[in-house]
Amino acid sequence: MSTVPGGPVDRDTPAGAIHLARQRRAKPNGWWGMVLFLCSEVTIFGTMIATYFYLQFGVHHWPPRGISPEKVAYPSIATGVLLLTTFTMWLAARAAGAGARRTVLLMISLSLLIQGAFFGVQVALMSSDLSRFSPRSTAYGSIYYTLTGTHDAHVLVGCLLGLAVLWFVARRGLTDYWSTATRALALYWYVVNTMAVFVLLTTLSPSL
Amino acid sequence: MATVIRPRGQQYVDLLDRVWGERKGLVGWLTTTDHKRIGIMYFFTALAFFGAGGVEALLIRTQLFGPNGHVLSPAAYDQIFTMHGVTMIFLFVIPMTTGAFGNYLLPLMIGARDMAFPRMNAVSYWIYLASGIFMYIALAQGHAPNAGWFDYVPLASKTYSPSINIDYYGWGLIFNGIASTATSINFIVTIFKLRAPGMSLNRMPLFCYAFLAVSFALLFALPSLSVAALFLELDRQLGFQFYTASHGGNPLLWQNLFWIFGHPEVYIIILPAFGIATAIIPTFTKRKMIFFPLVALSEILVAFLGFGVWVHHMFTVGYPTATTVYFAAASLIITIPSAIQLFAWIATIMSGTPEFKTPLLFIVGFILFFIIGGLSGVMLAAIPFDQQVHDSYFVIAHFHFVIFGAAVFPILGGMYFWFPKVTGRMYHEGWGQFSFWCTFVGTLVTFFPMHIVGLMGMVRRNYTYPAGLGFSTLNALETVGAFVLAAGLVSIVANLLISYHKGAPAGNDPWEGDTLEWSTTSPPPPYNYPVIPTVTSPYAMWDTADRELDNKRLERGEGVFALGHRTPGSTVQDAEVDELLEMPPHSIWPPVTALALAGVFVMLLLQHYFIALGFAAVIALTLIGWHRHGAQP
Amino acid sequence: MVKPDPHRPRRAATRYAAAVVVVGGAVVVSGCGRQSIISNKSPQAHGITVLWWWMLGVAAIVFAGAVTFMVIGFVKRRTPGMPIFGRHELAAQMLVLVFGIGIPLAVLIPLFGVSDVYLVQQTSAPLPGTTKLTINVIGHQWWWEARYENGRAVTANEIHIPARTRVNVVATTADVIHSFWVPQLNRKIDMIPGQRNRVLLYADHPGKYRGQCSQYCGLQHANMAMYVIAQPPAAFRAWLKHMATRAATPRTAQARAGERLFMNSQCASCHFIGGTPAQGTVGPNLTHLESRSTLAAGTIPNTRRWLADWIHNPQNIKPGVRMPDLGLSWAEVHTIAAYLEELK
Repeated sequence: MSTVPGGPVDRDTPAGAIHLARQRRAKPNGWWGMVLFLCSEVTIFGTMIATYFYLQFGVHHWPPRGISPEKVAYPSIATGVLLLTTFTMWLAARAAGAGARRTVLLMISLSLLIQGAFFGVQVALMSSDLSRFSPRSTAYGSIYYTLTGTHDAHVLVGCLLGLAVLWFVARRGLTDYWSTATRALALYWYVVNTMAVFVLLTTLSPSL
Repeated sequence: MATVIRPRGQQYVDLLDRVWGERKGLVGWLTTTDHKRIGIMYFFTALAFFGAGGVEALLIRTQLFGPNGHVLSPAAYDQIFTMHGVTMIFLFVIPMTTGAFGNYLLPLMIGARDMAFPRMNAVSYWIYLASGIFMYIALAQGHAPNAGWFDYVPLASKTYSPSINIDYYGWGLIFNGIASTATSINFIVTIFKLRAPGMSLNRMPLFCYAFLAVSFALLFALPSLSVAALFLELDRQLGFQFYTASHGGNPLLWQNLFWIFGHPEVYIIILPAFGIATAIIPTFTKRKMIFFPLVALSEILVAFLGFGVWVHHMFTVGYPTATTVYFAAASLIITIPSAIQLFAWIATIMSGTPEFKTPLLFIVGFILFFIIGGLSGVMLAAIPFDQQVHDSYFVIAHFHFVIFGAAVFPILGGMYFWFPKVTGRMYHEGWGQFSFWCTFVGTLVTFFPMHIVGLMGMVRRNYTYPAGLGFSTLNALETVGAFVLAAGLVSIVANLLISYHKGAPAGNDPWEGDTLEWSTTSPPPPYNYPVIPTVTSPYAMWDTADRELDNKRLERGEGVFALGHRTPGSTVQDAEVDELLEMPPHSIWPPVTALALAGVFVMLLLQHYFIALGFAAVIALTLIGWHRHGAQP
Repeated sequence: MVKPDPHRPRRAATRYAAAVVVVGGAVVVSGCGRQSIISNKSPQAHGITVLWWWMLGVAAIVFAGAVTFMVIGFVKRRTPGMPIFGRHELAAQMLVLVFGIGIPLAVLIPLFGVSDVYLVQQTSAPLPGTTKLTINVIGHQWWWEARYENGRAVTANEIHIPARTRVNVVATTADVIHSFWVPQLNRKIDMIPGQRNRVLLYADHPGKYRGQCSQYCGLQHANMAMYVIAQPPAAFRAWLKHMATRAATPRTAQARAGERLFMNSQCASCHFIGGTPAQGTVGPNLTHLESRSTLAAGTIPNTRRWLADWIHNPQNIKPGVRMPDLGLSWAEVHTIAAYLEELK
């Protein structure tokens, strides 16, 4: 064991990063950290979705009388478009592993556009909902807005993370640190996009 | 045998000393990322909160010494008993086991130089400290949470608790939970990726298995509490209706969410204690643990099964019999992995050569108390019996035996056990034995009579009780016991404090221990090991051939990795070296981030939401500063 | 640190201390029922007590066994050498399997069967149609409201039942979660907003059984006791018939003055006295107050002296209780007390 993989390699250069990525057998620490963080976040969503159905099974009318069920079309289309970013982020992660800086920048930018648009649509939909029913008048409203709001907050944070990674990959290049960050960001979006589907199905369940 | 540094190896040690030199003074502690320093800060902070929780306990016991006491008014009593629970669970026992013991010992036991994420480790500490101060500001203002540590609604709702007390609870717990979540992630990645070469998963010390199980349990349990607290604050501050029956909500939603967290929490409390016990027993019995794989599996099973039993805290809410029977069955099943571990420890002691020094005495006390607490726990799984004694002092007796007797005793034993390693000094053994007996007798006298008064009908969370019901004598006895217990705990701290200054030098390995930390100096250097050890069994220190091999490798400069602040990263299963990791040497960003986060929570508490958002923006900036130079400060 | 309770002038505090002796003595002297699970007075409580003794017995054996093992370990401690892989590996493993898996299963499965399959049926809510009488008990901060026959008879804190009769208690709450618990008669049942929980009460013999709220419900949770008084069925029917009547007309001049004072001050806005303008539902029903032996949910005895103290300033006796200090003079207090004493 006289030589260690990654020993004389300078991981702070793009070339070193590619070399390290090829040599390394285990997933990087940052990747594991994001996976575990996402376990916690998925549990948060799971808890809120479970709360939605728990509250539903406790009452006769869901949504309560006076609140019309959610329209299916706009939220579904928005979520469908968001799901495209699963693919674009996957491409970004793959490019990071190969050291293709331009591709990474392009894919993250594209993803940010779609994700930002999604967030905008969600804000518009939420305002429209707020004119119909309030989170303060029924438990239905409370869980509806909290569940969708939590997801929207995750989208917003994801966009901010994307901006940060974009900036640093542009400035510092694809060092091992930022290459791993790109892969971690991709993981984040895979999960947030999957959660979008579950949140959609949950909030639309009375209409389906 | 401890690492021997021969002349040719000394040059590498000198190089490491230079590269890993720590900053001096307060700035050094503030910006540290060294897991040992962070562990020490956790230790003293947790100890301070233990003292606070202990004072609260003594106030409770003094108030309850006789019937119709008036040491505390009802309002004061309600804050004191609530803060006792909150402090002991969130501010003492979890930070002490995970933050102090886990942080200090895990990298040492796996042969690493630090945690996987040293800066995140630091931020966990500062967030913990801030959350503790946050809760205690409440007490200082006379507005401490006062609806019990489990804070049932509707009592905790705005209608029945209009003041800010409960908001300190709700936001404070979310705040505190962030620290524990970060610690869990750190532990898991460290255990997965930073183990010494050769330390495959089946060669990892049982202590590490316990902490791996605890970390996963925390990761999956905390979200339920955070969501519950978020719903509570949305109800209280923004008028949402999660818990209001008249508007489609459900008060039982709180209970379910709370106990989905709360039950795994009690296994989170006790699993590290199991880990400490499994570290102390082999060392003091000079015997390898019986049925090592079964014990490791049991530790993980307890954590896993603990997620399926929460309704046993709710047997009296009126659920259908079928529901309660299912959860009672699940609760009984957990007895099995606990019993397996228990008898593995007992069998190891019986068939080894036990040396009843102070650490092992505390483990013996732990075993006895764990049996008593476990037996009363099994009784509580008998639904009709539980439905009689629920919310009585019988339950208080049960959980104090398992939490105090079974979780805190190993902490106390562990303090004695690792004191020589951390300080380089030996404690006074005679005084140690006295402190054990004092604490043991105090615990027994305080908590055992509670079984009896509970059966006699004494309800919990009562600021007083009337005469004539048969409670008075036993309560007086419990109060006396509490002061004896307090004296025992004070004597432990005094022993360690004085021994720190006056104790005999301990050397590297005073106990002939079996795990890696005993191979390095006492206290360990900042880089833990001059040469990263190679491991071929779970009892690394008893493999003398391997340790001699380490000495030779040090002379050759192999496995030293002195060019920079580095530790090897390994593969997950077989721990083959995979890459070299850069460890950030120090950083101001963790405390700054924690401060910004504190700002967020204070503003949420005061309902200044836009300012809270402002602080969140500050956090975004601090995180940029943090990551700006990668792993460099 | 924590601010002292502002409602307690020192004079009242000394008085309160004196209350210790008096109340303690009163409770003992009045021969009130104790509250122990062990002194069971019904088939349900009896079943649970028997279960308890069996569990204790087995637990004691298990504990003794474990202590014996530890003692063996202690006795054999001086065997020298560094065994490392130890003596008797197989025997020790057998010990773990037998005592860690085998014996626990052997104990837990019967325990489960007896308690969670058999006994749980006896202590569950009674099936509809299997009880002779239904009482609605409503928990309040910090007293118990008891309504019979759909509200024809309403009382507070002292709940009469016919002995040797299956009684269905429907437990609900007006505010926070409380828990209805009379240990000598049966397990406890929580009172939860939005839910109608039920528990069976069956007393083997006439007697007075003490119960207490057992879910932390706020400041005076400790002083929310109740009595379940089991009477021979004929006596119970007479009691119930009396409870359904309107309040007695006051006879003495002082009592009549007290009635006027009661109706014209805040009292009538919170309390209900049948057949009078007092129709409040915030506090306990006082129609037959004199039939009760205690006041303030079992906190103090129902004597003239305590009644007067309570009316004068309830906050001295039960700080935080909803009934305010009305600022009455002692003369006014005694006048009202004279009226209330006639409400038999």
